[in-house]
Amino acid sequence: MKIGAPKESARGEARVALTPESAKQLQKLGHECLVETGAGLAAGFNDDTYREAGVTVVDGADALWRDAEVVIKVREPSDQEAERLRKGQTLIAFFWPAQNEALLEKCKAQGATVIAMDMVPRISRAQKMDALSSMANIAGYRAVIEAGNNFGRFFTGQVTAAGKVPPAKVLVIGAGVAGLAAIGTATSLGAVVRAFDVRPEVSEQIESMGAEFLFLDFEDSQDGAESGGYASPSSPEFREKQLECFREQAADVDIVITTALIPGRPAPKLWLEDMVAAMKPGSVVIDLAAEKGGNCDLTKPDERVVSDNGVVVIGYTDFPSRMATQASLLYATNIRHMLTDLTPEKDGVIHHNMEDDVIRGATVTHQGEVTFPPPPPKVKAIAAAKPKKKEKEPTPEEKKAAELATFKAQTKRQVTMLAVGGALMLLLGQVAPASFMQHFIVFVLACFIGFQVIWKVSHSLHTPLMAVTNAISGIIILGAILQIGSGSAVVSVLAAISVLIASINIVGGFLVTRRMLAMFQKS
Amino acid sequence: MLGQGFVSAAAIAASVLFILSLGGLSNQEKAKRAVWYGIVGMAVAVFFTSFGPGIGGYWWLIPMMLIGAGIGAYVAGKVEMTEMPQLVAALHSFVGLAAVFVAWSADLERRRVMAARAAEASLDQFSAFAALVATKAPDELMFLQIEVVLGIFIGAVTFTGSVIAFGKLAGKVDGKPRQLPGGHMLNAGAAVLSLLLAILYLNGAGFWTLILLAALAFFIGYHLIMGIGGADMPVVVSMLNSYSGWAAAAIGFTLSNDLLIVTGALVGSSGAILSYIMCKAMNRNFINVILGGFGGSTGPAAEIEGEQVAIDAAGVASALNDADSVIIVPGYGMAVAQAQGAVSDLVRKLRAAGKTVRFGIHPVAGRLPGHMNVLLAEAKVPYDIVLEMDEINDDFPTTDVVIVIGSNDIVNPAAEEDPNSPIAGMPVLKVWEAKQVFVSKRGQGTGYSGIENPLFFKDNTRMFYGDARDSLTTLLPLVD
Repeated sequence: MKIGAPKESARGEARVALTPESAKQLQKLGHECLVETGAGLAAGFNDDTYREAGVTVVDGADALWRDAEVVIKVREPSDQEAERLRKGQTLIAFFWPAQNEALLEKCKAQGATVIAMDMVPRISRAQKMDALSSMANIAGYRAVIEAGNNFGRFFTGQVTAAGKVPPAKVLVIGAGVAGLAAIGTATSLGAVVRAFDVRPEVSEQIESMGAEFLFLDFEDSQDGAESGGYASPSSPEFREKQLECFREQAADVDIVITTALIPGRPAPKLWLEDMVAAMKPGSVVIDLAAEKGGNCDLTKPDERVVSDNGVVVIGYTDFPSRMATQASLLYATNIRHMLTDLTPEKDGVIHHNMEDDVIRGATVTHQGEVTFPPPPPKVKAIAAAKPKKKEKEPTPEEKKAAELATFKAQTKRQVTMLAVGGALMLLLGQVAPASFMQHFIVFVLACFIGFQVIWKVSHSLHTPLMAVTNAISGIIILGAILQIGSGSAVVSVLAAISVLIASINIVGGFLVTRRMLAMFQKS
Repeated sequence: MLGQGFVSAAAIAASVLFILSLGGLSNQEKAKRAVWYGIVGMAVAVFFTSFGPGIGGYWWLIPMMLIGAGIGAYVAGKVEMTEMPQLVAALHSFVGLAAVFVAWSADLERRRVMAARAAEASLDQFSAFAALVATKAPDELMFLQIEVVLGIFIGAVTFTGSVIAFGKLAGKVDGKPRQLPGGHMLNAGAAVLSLLLAILYLNGAGFWTLILLAALAFFIGYHLIMGIGGADMPVVVSMLNSYSGWAAAAIGFTLSNDLLIVTGALVGSSGAILSYIMCKAMNRNFINVILGGFGGSTGPAAEIEGEQVAIDAAGVASALNDADSVIIVPGYGMAVAQAQGAVSDLVRKLRAAGKTVRFGIHPVAGRLPGHMNVLLAEAKVPYDIVLEMDEINDDFPTTDVVIVIGSNDIVNPAAEEDPNSPIAGMPVLKVWEAKQVFVSKRGQGTGYSGIENPLFFKDNTRMFYGDARDSLTTLLPLVD
């Protein structure tokens, strides 16, 4: 099949869907690769490097759309591009089918198959083609870099001869892929990072990246696993609590990076005007949700706004494109993995298997029909979270009460045991002869001493303890000695055998204990 | 002949020495002295009892003692430290058997005395224990019978139980839990039957009841221990240790000998506490262990995702060379492969390179309480770097490399993470919190409990397949 990557037509888009590297891999699958002249220029790949990789460079978009059987792109097609689609052609790109219904209809009418990279289901097997994650990763990284560019101080704290520099304090809101990437980048630059997310189960991930999780004590926390790992809208009460928490942070933090998005909805407003007003002059807000309206009240898409009190609010929507080389390399790899799944025989023939969860999920039009939205995937994205144990710090009074309760319970148990034991002894005393009771006293006391002594034995000496108690239990030999002088031959023989085996036990047990103990040495 | 006063004084001295001997095991240095207390105590007890009043039969006694001592010394000198569990189990069986014999003899003597009384013959003709029996009142004789029954029953269970435990530990009997059809009902049936026999005996039935009683108890001991898996052997061995003590105490009552009672009680409570500690370390109920098998699972175990990634010696070596802190977690596999020497060499090399090397020992690692400590001590690993689970469990997150050698269940994260796991709630060494974990293991099989170990599938775990000793020997020259 001929796979072609046109030059992106959207303004400011620097990425490209095919890199020389991915082209080589695609050729191994038996495909032929085409690229429009100058398509990779903005991403740092000129036509010659493509040619070296065996890619045919085609002049003009028309020629490419005509020649290619599979068109791979970054952005969704423009109207003009959609018109170039024809029956039997396949388009692979970010498509956002929920937001672009008219475009979807158009592509259907043209008879083309469209695979939307943004619809790849979030299951383990599909991670290698999860372009949203790879782009979000870049956006998170770039957000920190942009923030640093606009922030007048170091990220890391330093004590220099010229004075002390405090570390920058960064707040990351939303710990998705972009948020986590931002946390990682900011911590490695040396900043003090805090992060918030509505899904409490991500606290572990946040902490693993080196940030502090801002914990919101709220009953009705949501479980992100049900919505495929994405956040869903929260209740008004929860939102109030959340904003309160942010308001507290606003005066303290230097850089805020917001990444909160809810699939298929406008971005929630989380960083309100009064919070921006509370921030120190020179602070920076980076809004990664600008495209969907922004998390910050002041955000204007694609613009850098400076507030009245000197806070910079950045609402760029093209963070991945600002790192076009890296973004293209990752995106092209995601596309290549998608094509690998589409070419199971590695023979250059696309087999569009609608039974496959991943392919089915990503396909939005196929054979003249709209196949969006897809049925739920057969494999659940993420295992259901286990109910989290909530441990509340007990107050001193509660602690005291608990201690008192255990003390009482223990006293009660001990008294009961003593009472029962005493009663049993009394009963026994009624029937047993006096001589027996005398021995019994000795027995009970010996048990007590045993219990007291053995608890103190060190764990590492348990084996020697067993060996030595084993040797000592050879004391049974006394019983045999007492009987051996009997007038009865049977008794004598039995006693003699007992003496023999008990002696083995005693000598063997002690010697082996000694051997063991001699080995223990200090370093 | 020594007087009764001598014998009693000796008994007091021996009791004190035994208590000191056990108490001295609280630390390694004191322990070396403590064992001598035990030896002297035993010597005093045996000597003064042998030459006490009313003892005869020296022609039997002395040769038997010498032969026994010779065999004991030979065995103790020859045994490998890895074979310690089976030796201890084997020695327990002797105590059990001796208890049965002594109890039988006691009853035979009683019968002789009763026969003489019935015939109204002179009671002066009796020597040794029989002479003592002759002085007893009827109600004392009744109690003597109860004590005989207890002595026989506990002794017999200890005997066969220890023999089976020995067989399992030595690999002569299959380690898997195995029971005859009927399972615990058979044990219960045998126990009820024993009780019936005991009642018959107390009501004057013949000596055959005691033989049958012993046979039934032999069966119970055999069947009970056969039903317990190899992983539970630490509990079984300490339980049998306890039984052997109680058997001795019961015999002490029979023979009216306080020294026997005291010593038996000491040993019995020692074994009971050890069993309790072991059960706690496995988060299991004592009854549950004794009745065999893991219980209490409430649902399917969580499925494990991912795969086991293998690594070769060079990879392990380079990680070790980069590491500053290393924790080694040994298990039964180290004992099986006799790898303690290789481990010790590795530790010496790493310590010489200035790295912090420590050992984390789980209370139930191995087949005997404290088994790993003894093996490491044998290989000259200093005991102050060998730490218990509670001492080291918080240090894993700050550790660079953990090497797990032949342990499985004691490092299984399912115990903490999967409430449906059969070992849920058992305290485990949290090795997975370290930066990197290497697992030295023979193959991909599961541990003794047959439970999958999610540790092996974790991202920071690498499997270092092969016999532990061979693996470590190839690793050694690569570490600098």
